[in-house]
Amino acid sequence: MPTRRPAAALALAAGLVVIAGGTAGLLLTRHSTPAMRPVAAGVSALPAPTGSIVAPPQSAAPRPVAAPVSLAIPLIGVQTQLITLGLTSAGELQVPSSTSVAGWYTGSPRPGAIGPAVIVGHIDSLTGPGVFYRLPELRPGDKVYVKRADGTLVEFRVTSVQTYLKDRFPTEDVYGPVPDPELRLITCGGAFDAATGHYLSNIVVYATAVS
Amino acid sequence: MNFWNVSRKLPMLLATSALLLGIPAAATAYASSATTGTGWIRLAHLSPNTPAVDVYLYSFGNSSAMIVLHHVAYGTVSPYESVPAGDYSVAMRAAGASATSQPVLSTSVTIATGHAYTVAGLGPESGLRLQVLEDKLTTAPGQAEVRVIQASLKQQVVTVTLGSTVLASDLKFASVSDYQPVSPGTQSVTVSSSGGDAHSSVTLAVGTVHTLVVLDGASGLEVVNLEDASGMGKPPLGGVTTGFGGTAPHGPGSPVPWLAAIAAGCMLALTGGLRLRRNRQLHAGV
Repeated sequence: MPTRRPAAALALAAGLVVIAGGTAGLLLTRHSTPAMRPVAAGVSALPAPTGSIVAPPQSAAPRPVAAPVSLAIPLIGVQTQLITLGLTSAGELQVPSSTSVAGWYTGSPRPGAIGPAVIVGHIDSLTGPGVFYRLPELRPGDKVYVKRADGTLVEFRVTSVQTYLKDRFPTEDVYGPVPDPELRLITCGGAFDAATGHYLSNIVVYATAVS
Repeated sequence: MNFWNVSRKLPMLLATSALLLGIPAAATAYASSATTGTGWIRLAHLSPNTPAVDVYLYSFGNSSAMIVLHHVAYGTVSPYESVPAGDYSVAMRAAGASATSQPVLSTSVTIATGHAYTVAGLGPESGLRLQVLEDKLTTAPGQAEVRVIQASLKQQVVTVTLGSTVLASDLKFASVSDYQPVSPGTQSVTVSSSGGDAHSSVTLAVGTVHTLVVLDGASGLEVVNLEDASGMGKPPLGGVTTGFGGTAPHGPGSPVPWLAAIAAGCMLALTGGLRLRRNRQLHAGV
């Protein structure tokens, strides 16, 4: 049946093409899609904010400090208003409802006062980067600025960047007392659990006020 | 497998297990100061009749000073400085004296990771000494902590009360009381002495540690309220949920559709191939 020869040849050719396509598809999708990573921040994306920097007093009387209103981390392009955060009924830290602003926990010291001031921001939304997306890029020595309601600025220097599994979060170390003005910047990180829709770790940036 | 083999392979097995179990280095908890291996020190001049001094902090065995505070007068307490844990020496020289001159006084201090210290010049000028005090960081839940340093030469014995709580009874000049827990809030402070009483008020927030320093003021006793440390009244429980995964890496997709396509391709090619072969056989047979 000569009329069936082209059909058979076509079937063979089509089969081979499908095999090649399937194999290529299989190989290509075996690699994970890497997370979006920003380019290394070699240059300051933002200028350092201006304002009078109030050094901690060298006299004995502690000076009261005004409430924080905004946060700037020029090296990683962060410039955000600070909203206020409390605790949930379960005693956990509230998080900003918007992924594009950071918030200060009002139960922690005001930035620049003695103790660990806590500021929290999202690393991402469902679709893209959040305000603290580039927080993990910070390294010891990097500068962080907080502007306060009276217009004064307090400058912090990063001392350490740590990643903690959420179920082993060292509460005492992050929130525990210290004798100098410090800052804790907290966001999510580590592996993402698609089943729960949450990251498994927290990234904590420790910083100390520059005197 | 003999014992030798097992023992040789054991470390590798353990290492592999650790990797498989996903034990990350970051799982170890470190205090903020522990991550950097630091402690804190502050320097104070609390000798009423000693003129201003320059205070030097040296890392032990290093002849160039790490910190120099110039012209520190009576009643001055520096902020805390964060320094690597280790051995240090503190030296006092008359204000403006050469950095290489013989110090009036010096002492050594060992700074432990996560601990805070006050090195204070205490006593009269004739008996000046540098005393190392360990400062407290933590409070009991819902409480504040207070201690008293008695640095008044004019009134050598004082009793200090906070509200109705006696913080220090008959505390002698140049001595220091123990910390004690108190209820947070704003309360009156009374310093009583044979030369009369002095009153002031202090605010002690929950979770804060304070030192009250009794000083000779221009007109009678003064009380200075130092904040030694602060935590927070209600530390949050656990970590925070600050991400929705929009930038998380995505895992490899399912291989099933691709495998199905390959299988279908195989079927198609096989069918076509067999048909061609049969055609050829039929052709040859005619």
